[in-house]
This record gives sequence, C-alpha cells and structure tokens, in this order.
Amino acid sequence: MSADRPAIARPAGKNALIGERTPLIDGAEKVSGVAKYPADLDATGALVGRIYRSPYGHAEIINLDVEAARKIPGVVAIVTGDDCDVTYGILPVAQNEYPLARGKVRYRGEPVAAVAAIDEATAEAALRAIVMEVNELPIYDRSEDSRAPGAALLHDDKPDNLERSVHTEFGDVATEFANADIVREAVHDCAEVTQMHMDPHAGIAEYDVERHRLLLQSATQVPYYVHLMVAQCMKMDKSSIRVIKPFIGGGFGARTETLNYELVLCLLARAAKGKVRIKLSREETFFTHRGRPRTKINMKIGMKKDGRFTACECTVEQSGGGYGGYGIVTILYAGALLNAIYDIPAVKYDGYRVYTNTPPCGAMRGHGTVDVRHAFETLLDKMAEELGIDALELRRRNFLQTPTTTINGIKVTSYGFPDCIDWAEEASGWKKRHGQLPYGKGLGIACSHYVSGAAKPVHWTGEPHATVNLKLDYDAGVTVLTGAADIGQGSSTILAQVVGEVLGLGLNRITVIANDSRITPKDNGSYSSRVTFMVGNAALEAAQNLQKLLIEAAARKMEAKPEDIECLGEIYRVAAKQGVEMSYEDVVREALVDTGTITVKGNFTVPREYQGGKFHGAAVGPSMAYSYAALAVEVDVDEITGRVNIENIWVAHDCGYALNPLAVEGQIQGAVWMGLGQAVSEENRYFKGLLVGPNVLDYRVPTIKDSPHIEVKIVESNDPNGPFGAKEASEGALAAVLPAVANAVYDAIGIRVDDMPLTPERIVDAMVKHERDTKAQRQAAQ
Amino acid sequence: MEKSILRLTLNGRERADAVDGNVLLIDYIREIAGLTGTKMGCDGGECGACTVLVDGEPRLACISLAASAEGHDVETIESLAEGTRLSALQKSFHQKLGSQCGFCTPGMIMASEGLLRKNPDPSVEEIRTGLSGNICRCTGYVKIIESVQDAAERKAEGDAA
Amino acid sequence: MEYMPPFEVLKPSTIDEAVALHGQTPEARFLAGGTDIIPNIRRGIVAPGALIELSGIAEMQEITQTEDGGLNIGAGVTLAQLETDPRIAAAYPAIAKAASEVAANSHRNVGTLGGNLCLDTRCVYYNQSEWWRSSNDYCLKHRGEICHVAPKSKRCFAAFSGDVAPTLMIMDATVDLAGPNGRRTIALPDLYQADGAAHLLIGKDEILTAVTLPPNDGWATGYAKVRVRVSIDFPLAGIAIALKRDGEKLKAIKIAVTGLDSQPITLAGADALANHPFDDALLQSLEGLLPKQIQPMTSTLTPPGYRRRVSGNLIKALAKELFATAG
Repeated sequence: MSADRPAIARPAGKNALIGERTPLIDGAEKVSGVAKYPADLDATGALVGRIYRSPYGHAEIINLDVEAARKIPGVVAIVTGDDCDVTYGILPVAQNEYPLARGKVRYRGEPVAAVAAIDEATAEAALRAIVMEVNELPIYDRSEDSRAPGAALLHDDKPDNLERSVHTEFGDVATEFANADIVREAVHDCAEVTQMHMDPHAGIAEYDVERHRLLLQSATQVPYYVHLMVAQCMKMDKSSIRVIKPFIGGGFGARTETLNYELVLCLLARAAKGKVRIKLSREETFFTHRGRPRTKINMKIGMKKDGRFTACECTVEQSGGGYGGYGIVTILYAGALLNAIYDIPAVKYDGYRVYTNTPPCGAMRGHGTVDVRHAFETLLDKMAEELGIDALELRRRNFLQTPTTTINGIKVTSYGFPDCIDWAEEASGWKKRHGQLPYGKGLGIACSHYVSGAAKPVHWTGEPHATVNLKLDYDAGVTVLTGAADIGQGSSTILAQVVGEVLGLGLNRITVIANDSRITPKDNGSYSSRVTFMVGNAALEAAQNLQKLLIEAAARKMEAKPEDIECLGEIYRVAAKQGVEMSYEDVVREALVDTGTITVKGNFTVPREYQGGKFHGAAVGPSMAYSYAALAVEVDVDEITGRVNIENIWVAHDCGYALNPLAVEGQIQGAVWMGLGQAVSEENRYFKGLLVGPNVLDYRVPTIKDSPHIEVKIVESNDPNGPFGAKEASEGALAAVLPAVANAVYDAIGIRVDDMPLTPERIVDAMVKHERDTKAQRQAAQ
Repeated sequence: MEKSILRLTLNGRERADAVDGNVLLIDYIREIAGLTGTKMGCDGGECGACTVLVDGEPRLACISLAASAEGHDVETIESLAEGTRLSALQKSFHQKLGSQCGFCTPGMIMASEGLLRKNPDPSVEEIRTGLSGNICRCTGYVKIIESVQDAAERKAEGDAA
Repeated sequence: MEYMPPFEVLKPSTIDEAVALHGQTPEARFLAGGTDIIPNIRRGIVAPGALIELSGIAEMQEITQTEDGGLNIGAGVTLAQLETDPRIAAAYPAIAKAASEVAANSHRNVGTLGGNLCLDTRCVYYNQSEWWRSSNDYCLKHRGEICHVAPKSKRCFAAFSGDVAPTLMIMDATVDLAGPNGRRTIALPDLYQADGAAHLLIGKDEILTAVTLPPNDGWATGYAKVRVRVSIDFPLAGIAIALKRDGEKLKAIKIAVTGLDSQPITLAGADALANHPFDDALLQSLEGLLPKQIQPMTSTLTPPGYRRRVSGNLIKALAKELFATAG
C-alpha cells in the first residue's frame, strides 16, 4: 500500500480488511471449475428449450402455425405470443416488448415461439416445423432511415419512430457562444457495440403445477427486476416465484434488465409443467445483446482564447433497436453527463432515441456517456491545439471548484480529477513525448467520469436504495445476506470486507449469501456502479448495528459502559481497565442470551438533495458521488495496413477510496480494455436488419496479443458519503479510452479520424483522403 | 446409428462410455462425464473457454469430437486441484485476480498449464502466444499475464501442489 | 448437448484403407484437425453422414528429406509442427511464418497442413448458422440462388483464407493425392480454381496426402498477413514472396497471394520483372501485377477496396524487406 493513502482509523491490533488487496471470496470456486453458471446447473430431467426467431426484420404476423411442430413426438410444450399478452421492460413508462412477438416483429432474431422437447434433436426438428406467414414492412437499420419522412412506424404510438427526444438548456447558451473567442464543431458516428460477456445466456426454470410455484435460475445482474417482470408476464403472485442468480459470466449491462429468453423460459416451464433449460447459442446471445447503440453526435464547443469553456451544444441521435429497453435512460445520460467534469457555463442538449429494426440496445458499461465523451474530448484536443494551449493545461483551466452543484443540478463533492491528470501526464511522459514521437507513433490523453449509482431508482417505491441483513448465530459466524448480484466484479467480497472491517473479524468468520429471493433482501441490482457505494453503505450500517449489540453485550458482561468498550475484533476489552477483556466468542454467547439468533439490518438511501433537479428528465445523471479518470494511450499506427496497435495505457482513476485495491485495479483494467475494443475493432454491422457478424470471430474482441499493459494509478479523494470514502471504480475510465486513442492517432499520423471504431480500413481511408486533400491543396496553392 | 464404446483417460481415470460419433468432446466432458468446469463460450472454436489438454496439448473441446480422443489422455480444469487444494496456477489466478467473472478461467488455466509444462519460465510474449486463442472479457488480460508469471515462480519455488 | 447432425467416425490407419472406407461411405468427409469442418458442421453447413479421421495414418504425419534435398511433408503434419520444425525454419521461413500466423496456438496444435490447403472458402454470408442463412435465403455457395456479394454473378466469391498455400506456391510445391483411381501428383496451383463454391479440384473421394517442396536454391522468402487482430483472425489478405537478388538488381521474384479471391493465386508476370534494377519503378510494377489478377469482394466485413490497396502496398514493403536481407 502506498504511504500517501488516507488512513482508515482503527485501534492497534484490530484486524484490517478495508484497503487490503483481497482475492475474491468466491475465487477458489472459479479457478477450480467448481463454480456453477446457469448452463452448469443440474439439468437432470430438464427439457430442452429452444426459441423460434423471426427471420424477418419488420413484418406483420399474418399466421403462425405451430401445429405440425406440436405433433412431433417428444415435443412437450410450445408457447407463442398468445401465451403472454403482457409487455415487459425496464422503465414503467416504456414497457413495450412482449416475451414472444404478438402481431408484429420488429427485428431479425426476435423471439416468436418456443418449444420444450425431450432433447436437442427433437427441439431442432420442432423449430423447423414452425411456419410463420407475414406481411413484410420496410426494414430500417439506421436512425436516418427510420426517422425519414413517411417511414413506416415500428410502434403506432411513436410518431417519426422517435422513442424519446430530450431538449435541455442550462445557462444562457446563445450569449455564452457569443462570448466565445472560438467556436468549433465536429460530427461523429460511433458504431454499435455489444457486451459480449463470456457466457452465452442460459437458464433453468422449474414450474411446480401442484403448488403453482416457479423457480428461475438465471444469469442476471438484476434478479429483483427479473422477479418483477416474471410475475407481471406470468400473472403470478410475486411470492410464488423464486429467483436465484448462480455464477454469471459477466454482464457489462447486458443483463441489467429482464431479457426475453428469461420470460420465455418461465412460460415454457409452466406450459411443460416442469423443468426446462434454455441455453442460447453465441449467435442468439448477440441478438439478445442490449449493447451500446450506434450514436451520431454533433458537438459544438465555445472557448475563450485562454481555453476557458463558454458553452457546449450537443445533438445526439441513437439507433436504439426495435424496443424501448433502457433507451430513455441512455439518451438522458448522454446529455446529463456533459456536465460534472468541467466547469461549463452553458450547455444545450438535444437527444433523439430512435427506433430501428435491429435488436434492442441497452445499458452497456459507461451507459450513455461513452460516445458523447469521445466527441467532447477529441474536439477539446483540436481546440487546444488551435489555441496553442497544452491539452492538459486547458483541462486544468476548466476544473470544477468543488463542492459544487452543476448547472443541471448535480452535486459534486469529492473531485480527485486534478490528481488524475497530474499522474497521467507524468507517467506517460506527456510533456516530453507528446508531439515529439516519430511518425506513426503517438501519445494521446483524454478524461472521463461516471456516477456511483443512480440517485433515483428505476422504480420509486419509497424503499431504501439498498438493504443488507446480517445474521449472527451460536457459531459466532456472521452471515451477510444481500440481494446484490456479484457478476464477477467482486461485490460480495467488498461486502464481506466492509462487515469484517467494522467488526474486526477475519474473512474466515464471514459468509456472504447473495441472490436468492427467498432468503436475501431485495436489491435493485448491479448496474450504474451502485453496489459498492449503496450496498456498501448499507452493509456498513448493518455491521455498525451488529457491533452495537456486541458492545452492549460485552459491556453487560464486563460491567462497564458501552462507550468504554473497545473492540479489537476477536477481543473486546474495557479501555480503561487493563486486563479486563472477553473473547469475541464469549461476547457472542452473551449477546445471544435471551434473544437467540441475532438478525440486524442496514439501509442506505440517497438523500433527496442528491437526487437532482426538478426538470423533465432530471432523474438521470444525479448520483451521490462521481468518479474521475485521466488516461494516456501510446499507439503505433502501421503505415501500410492502418492497424492501430495500442502499446501502452496509463490510467489514473479517482475511486474515492479503494476498499479492495486488487479488485479496483482489475475493474479499471477491464473497463479500459473494453473501451479499447470499441476504439479499435469492435462493431456490430447489419445487412437489411440482420446482424452480420454474430460470433466471436467477426465481432473482434481484442485478443491477448492485441492488448497492452495497462498501468493503473488509484487516486483517493475520500468521498464524504461513500463507505470508507469509496465511490465508483471501473466505468469512469472507459469513456476516456476512445478519445485518447483518437488523439494519439492524430499525434502519430497527423490525421483526425472522428468516427469509431478506428479499424484499419477506416485509418487507411483517412490516410488516402488526407493525401488526396493535401495534394489538392498544394495544387490549388500553385 | 450404433453408439460405439469410447475408451479414454479423463483426468487420470480410464473410462469407457457408449457415445455417438457426432458427440463433441465438450459435450462428452460436460454432459456424459458430468464435469462442468469446461465452458462453452462460442459457436465453435472462437473463444478458448473450452480449452482442455489432450496428451498435454491445449485443445478446443468445442470443435473436437469425443471420438477423436479415443485412446488419448484428456485433462480438464477439475484435474488440477488435489481435492480442494489448488494447483500453482489456480492459486495464482485466484490470488492475483486473473479471474473475475470466472467463465474464461478454466480454459485460460488449462492453456496456461499446457504452456508451463513445456516452458516453465515463459516471457510475457510467450505467455501472450500461449493464451492467444483465449478471450477474456473482464480483465484486459493484465492480471492474467501476472497470474501466469506468478504461477511459474510458484512452481520454480516448488509449490507445485 | 449441442445439436449435431448424426454421423459416425471411421478411423483408418493407412491411406489405402481411408480411400477404401470412402468407397463404402460415399457421403463421408475426411477429417483432419477439425478446426474448419467441425465449426461448419455446428453451423449446419456440412452434414457429412460419416467422417473419416486421418490422424491415425502414420505415413501422413511425417516430414522427410527428399532425394534432391527438398522436403516431403505429410498432410497430417500440424501447423504447430510447421511453425517449429528446424528444417522448415531454415529453408522455408515463409512457410513457418504463415503457419505461425494461423488462428491461435490451440488451433495450430491440431490444424494440419492438408487442412489448411483444403480449407473451405469463407464468406460472411456463408459462415453463419442455419437460421441466419435461411433468414437470408441462403447463398450461391450453399442451398441458395444468389451470391449476396455479387448478386448478378453466376460464380461464388467466397474467399480462400488459408495462410500456408501461397508460401508453398512460391516454392513450386506439388501435392500428392490418393483416391480410388490411385495416386497422382499435381502442382499446388492446380488444386484450385476461381469458384468459391467449388474451389478445390480434388475429388470428394481423394485425399491430399503430402506436399513436396523442391530444395530452396537461394530464394529469400517471406509472408505478410493483413488482419485486424494479431491472433485468431483469418487473413484479409496474405502475401508470400520469394526473391533472389543480384547486386542492385532483382534477379527473380515470385509472388503468391491468399484471401483475395476464391483461390490462392500466383501472380503472373513476375518473371518479366527479373533482372531489373530494384527501384521505385520496379516496385510500382510489382504492385501493378495485382489488381487485374485478384477479385476480392465483400465476403469479409472489411471492404474489398481496403484489401486491394493494402495488398499492393504490402507487396512493395515485403519485397523491399526481402531484397534488403537477400544475399
């Protein structure tokens, strides 16, 4: 641990867990192959579930004939849109998707029917026997086409195929642009990308006909939302449903909402009166992706000669896919987080979330902010050059003076951003190397930020944002019960550390049980980087409540006042009296007298003043804390092939306080690397609405050979509201990668390429165009 | 079609199972032998999650036929630990956080195992080559490389488990 | 279980036995490393009825010196062996390089020389699931009427994507075939034709058993591959060059390319550039050989214009590099 870390106050001799590099508490299961992901669960007696998907991109369903399929021996159940007339979705106001299409299909790959059969071959035969007759409608891959005048509507109640348009203006934009010395604009087109979590979707559902109960085990980031939607679509009591999340092969936002296959699986299990397993292929998992939409951005920035921002105006258009999903939230995030990193006096935002005949997009890592940040940070880089100001110095001139409330009502408290920039500058050798490297080599820097949990929950129930229960029993073990989904990010480990730290206990005494709706308290789920901050705070409160009971018991037994009891974890003692002490186990024994098993609870609620302003859409963007990152990238651009090789990445990230520095590093490296994939090679492409490369070969996730060393500096600004000062630690740095790479490519070859990803062909096209333009200019000058 | 008897060694034990010719090695391992540590991450040969060792060499079980393993020695992730005592590589992946969600991990560790048996002291570039067919979506590979290096050191120090 | 069409696996131990087995099961396909055919079976492109596994045939697994000092390489030799065999590294470095750039190490451990030469052609409209292809009305290569990359064409433009073939072609390799009508040996280019749906001129009942390389009498050879990712990816283009230098002159050059058409192609006209001074004009001429001899199409997600341009530039760069190192 570095010496300059803010110290956690703990008495000498007390066990330290917070701030220690802690391997994941469920790591041994993962490395030994014991961990059970949904596809690994006991499927004895389970039927094989398969989904019939629409081959049409946009069509009215005239007839769906499943009778031939139903007659195949071994087919146990078939469900269609007739089996569920209830829509689902994430926001209560925007639920317009059926588990199985009814009346109309809106993208190629949309589920239309499903079969449960005794084996794969029978299920396969059944799918082939299903016949769908349709009346085809025009397919729109791109928002330009679906917004065009006269385009057929995907949803009758959405004119112009607009899911949502957002128009906000804070500050006096016209005046502030007029005050600017230079105003510059750029247009960007960032391709759709997808999470490509490693495990293809899978799940098992078991319907008990006698008792009308349903058990669903599914790889989700949001077991509670899934629970709600299953109840809604199945028209069942929530209490008759049990949802368990087993191990999950990552999420990155793909599983932040209920997915169609989960509902289809439950419908199948009920129809089949038993147990059904669905394993989607990788291709089907691509169709179920909920990735980052293709985003077109028009970015305009006004600046004074000294580099101070005066105003920003940004228009965003997203090709969101056939259904609502998280779309409204995405388009709101894109605008809201134009703020809260730099001091900009006036910001205007126009966002358009557009329906297209492609699989619905969702809340991919860095939700809503990534492409817009790319546009902002690359334009900033261009303007810095034009004004002759070092790009980092320019950023420094625009720091927020914190604590502050931004023009759009966001409160920023801790702000380690300046330290991030200083470190990235130093570590990358920016001053000496930027602009100085030989042709083909370049250095670029960019910055970004993100929320630590959305301050307003999706469902406003009046309940706390997070609840953690602790159970202490005769065995002196502490069981942490949480509904927070560990999706590989290590959230269960963090909760164990928090509880152990407060109680002074080692991890040996602590067990975390997560994600069984029968046992664990409700949690909204793992998204918007909320778990460490919110559930961590709830765990902190729960542990403090338990500690209080233990101290009272110790005081009772040792005949002292509770405030005189000092807890060293395994030892409780009376501070003033030397030698008067009790073992932890004796304290527990005493605490259980008369009460028996102890159950305590901790809650966390984001105070109202952090929940944002009053305007329409104000609910998206506010958070109780923001993380900050500065990131430098060194590239080598191949002159012939145009391939951008990433040689080095340095990233400094202000995560408030690193509860688990090992996991924080891992999270930052992973997020940065995911941004790197989006920057250089990842891209979803469509041919008449059909995703062209739904596989791991054509969707080019960087291999280990494409991936550089990523050096991480953890910056600790000690957030006043985070658990032990902690805040977000991963998503914040992702958005900086794209502009840093683009800025580095410019430094390497002197060409600005504004669109994403920077694939070899895009770079070569830009080099060819540059050469042609230069030649034309030369000729014109002669 | 007649099933034929497939004889092979799986994790040190000789087995004989009645298996159809069209059964993939991964399905044999997972569904017939019941060892679910080996993962299917793609639709065929693109991600490395299914990597096992056949006669000590990394092999993609999702594009291998069970029948092709006839008479060979197949090792999966379950073979490495001694009971619940983790092997050097497993310890290193655990302690150095070479595993986050864990889904690529069995394949990643088996590819690393194949590498370290041949090359006990690999350079970073050799590690990259040895793991060049294994996609990880969580770590950015940084801590995976550190894990393999750590395991090599562990093994050199005699902690071979 | 993954859905797989039914088939049985047959295991001959000699070439003759393999040929005979095919005679008994005409719908059978030969199986080597499986890295190409098994994904294709999983995607429903191939439903073979039976697979005749060649890995048990000892005579196909050897690399032997020929009488004239060349090499005879069994078709069952793995790409990993090609990559590391000292005889190949010494005399035919381009072959070792090409083998080392195929897919990833776990593929190369099983993928074979024969498999890489007989690799099915690839296209984004073809290497897809049954559902995907049926949703797109299939394609000319398999079950369909039109080629989606060239709708008016009668020919399929799926691209040959083996890395190794061009590096053998610049060495004038021949291949040995065994079939019901006996054995024959042909020049490697004669194995192929420009039709993505039927690019191999080898009977379905014939086995490619070995490749013979003449001795390398002074050629400097190299291979350059264009790809987005450094691992796993098939070549968007691959360039193999063999050249000889005579002082400041190019004494002789041979160029073969892959990934740019439905077959690997030896560029015609290179011999006319022998004994020219190695200058910019010559490099332009070398590049100029390419455009009319290849037909890259949108069979990959990377557009053909890029593949053309980059290939031309790579020819120049690789020629320069080899010229500099050639004795």
